[in-house]
Amino acid sequence: MAVPAPSGAPRLAARAARRSRPGVALARRALGDARIRTIAFAYLFAAVAYINPVAYRHTYPTLAQRLAFAHSFGANKAVVLFYGKAYDLLTIDGYTAWRSGGTLAIFAAIFGLLAAVRVWRTEEDAGRAELVFAGIVSRRAAYLSSVAAIAAQMVVLWIAALAGLMIARLPIGASAYLALAIVCVVPVFAGVGALAGQLAPTRRVALELGGAVVAVAFVLRVVADTSRPVSWLRWVTPLGWAEELRPFTGARPLVLLAPLGLSVVLLAAAGAIARGRDVGRGVLPAHDTAAPRLGLLSSPAALALREARATLVVWLAGVGAFALIVGVISNSISSAGISKQLQRELAKLGSGSVATPLGYMSFAFIFFVLAVTLFVCSQIAAARGEEAGEQLETLLALPLGRRRWLAGRLALAGALAAAIALVAGLLMWAGAAFEGVRVSLARMLVAGANCLPVAVSFLGIAALAYAVVPRASVGIAYGLVAVAFLWNLFGELLGAPKWLVDATPFAHVGLIPAQPFRAVAALVMVGIGLSCAAAAIAMFERRDLMGA
Amino acid sequence: MTYAIQTDRLTKRYGDTLALDALDLTVAEGEVYGYLGPNGAGKTTTIRLLLGLHRPTSGRAELFGVDAWEDPVRAHARVAYVAGEPFLWPSLTAEETFEFLARLHGATDVAYRDELVERFQLETRKKIRALSKGNRQKVQLLAALATRADLLLLDEPTGGLDPLMEATFRECIREAKARGQTVFLSSHILSEVEALCDRVGILRGGRLVDQGTLEELRHLSAQTVEVTFDGEAPQLPLLPGVQVVGAGPNALRFEVSGPVRPLLAALAERPIATLTSREPSLEEIFLHHYDSSDGRAGA
Repeated sequence: MAVPAPSGAPRLAARAARRSRPGVALARRALGDARIRTIAFAYLFAAVAYINPVAYRHTYPTLAQRLAFAHSFGANKAVVLFYGKAYDLLTIDGYTAWRSGGTLAIFAAIFGLLAAVRVWRTEEDAGRAELVFAGIVSRRAAYLSSVAAIAAQMVVLWIAALAGLMIARLPIGASAYLALAIVCVVPVFAGVGALAGQLAPTRRVALELGGAVVAVAFVLRVVADTSRPVSWLRWVTPLGWAEELRPFTGARPLVLLAPLGLSVVLLAAAGAIARGRDVGRGVLPAHDTAAPRLGLLSSPAALALREARATLVVWLAGVGAFALIVGVISNSISSAGISKQLQRELAKLGSGSVATPLGYMSFAFIFFVLAVTLFVCSQIAAARGEEAGEQLETLLALPLGRRRWLAGRLALAGALAAAIALVAGLLMWAGAAFEGVRVSLARMLVAGANCLPVAVSFLGIAALAYAVVPRASVGIAYGLVAVAFLWNLFGELLGAPKWLVDATPFAHVGLIPAQPFRAVAALVMVGIGLSCAAAAIAMFERRDLMGA
Repeated sequence: MTYAIQTDRLTKRYGDTLALDALDLTVAEGEVYGYLGPNGAGKTTTIRLLLGLHRPTSGRAELFGVDAWEDPVRAHARVAYVAGEPFLWPSLTAEETFEFLARLHGATDVAYRDELVERFQLETRKKIRALSKGNRQKVQLLAALATRADLLLLDEPTGGLDPLMEATFRECIREAKARGQTVFLSSHILSEVEALCDRVGILRGGRLVDQGTLEELRHLSAQTVEVTFDGEAPQLPLLPGVQVVGAGPNALRFEVSGPVRPLLAALAERPIATLTSREPSLEEIFLHHYDSSDGRAGA
């Protein structure tokens, strides 16, 4: 049936024609697509920017305390490894620049990479880019609109970090500069991601290439910050530029030219490749034809392992390398000159006394607990991906029960997490033993395995979220881990009551080797994890499968 | 007797949307059943309920007498499924996909699969991500056919296939039928259903509006009678069950539901030049169900 044209139709059509600017439409679409990631990172930036100055003010109210802290802690190689180089630890500003800046620059790098690979490779993998290029928009305009979208996301992060600093009562001008020093890393790694997206034939390869660059940039910063003879290396890595901008401590805004210049070069290069390339393909060849390899096809969990191999190698290499470095550095720790009072204060910052090699390794292990827990979340994300991609529908139409599928995935996640945790313990032991630290291999393996109770508890919780609210589950899983971890670091510093601080599982990790294994807490966490997992399996059997 | 498929007032709601409304469906063993309906009529919902992938809001579905939701593993033992969209594992090659699905299914006739690969001209060393939609569809289809399962549940299985492959598909379905396999073919390609199916169900807005063999559907629907006259077409009295649906200077076209005798009696003394009568095509039956104006047409 014909619909009578509304009287306003010609005017509407005219307005539509005037407003049809495809570049703008594309940029808005890209922004909308990135909104969840942008909001999540914005919260993180604001939270970290706010927490550090407040915690410092709370913990070290007097100059004497700050002097002692700066003397022992700021110069400590081992701490620098995690947070970057400190230029001034006597003021709230300097402390904030050090703690917030160093950490957030890494997150900014990851954000830039993810954003770029999303707009320049995932869209092509999904075939949506073809639809765009089949329209009236030129490749150049499409490329520039994606650049504009990422620039807008960067501005959002900048505002978030600035807001966090200002709510913590830091001066506006210097806060704006610190926030800029943090987010100036975003376009550089967006350029890296853009280039990786042009070279790589698939999203996964692009993320692997880009991730390797982030890792190298981080390792370079660590080396530059921890060994004086090669401190010039800081100029080689974009993460070092963020430090050389010296926010709050003698700003050097000219350094901004370095990230600006490199971003322009990388983005221009990627843009040039993008215009001359077949849509949907990369510069590197895709290996689309292969002789069959029939290993690891015997069950859904086996296939999941097969699919996770590349990711697993990255995790093992990253966690292993970091554990080795921590082990090696642990020997340079000395308790000389640190008062008992200050040691207790330090313990609050990192859940353990860092003044001895064993104490330092224990302090470091909380980060490995976090890494293993995040890995577990990534496995729930993979399981959800199989459902969202509707491969699960094909699987469950076979004579194969849901219980077996989900239990298999959870068992796999647990087993892989255990492998990563043990490798962390093994390599930390190797690094420490190489430097002559007296600690037994068995003890360090226990320290590694000690990552697992927290990971298992979050595995169960994430699985339950997956069973009940599948579409939101991945965000819930990562979000809970992030909140629980940050709460453990900062809850006490912010003056929260003990029972509230103790609500996070991270507060109940006995940090081995310095502290004893906390068996009861571990049992409780494993119990929570297993009962949540059992509930998850039961609930999953009762619900509809849900596509993307 | 046990049916391959039996549903009892099978109903599914998604929020406020009634996707399937009290479906009563039986498919006997050895039958090829065509399940017709436009996009969004509830065909895929039906199949998901038959497989226990979604939970019925009320009613039940059984495959070979086993409840699909309560005991899906046992219900699937004699079933092979082809999903409407060929989503597979992008990083596996076609051959690896065959191997994986075969191991999970438990029973696969490898020799037959190799024969099918030849007949469908599938390149098995290519990764799924590099295959076109039609070729990915072939991978699913071949994996299902090679199980020689007693019941094939096919959800628009020929989407993306070229006409040659479509013909090969029809041969395979006829062979499956000859071997006694049951086929449930969800489709909106009427010629395919007309060529293959013993019985047809027509779904509309979540309800089964018609069901039967093609012959039965035809009897229930109007047949078309075209008459040309020597000279001008005459005025005829109103007759029950007869509708004039077209007229020319010396021709009339009628649609007759029910017996054709009253019309013939009325025409008996007229100067008829030619008279043709034909049964409605499936397309006409189908459109008939969707054109009636109760406000839900095309739902």
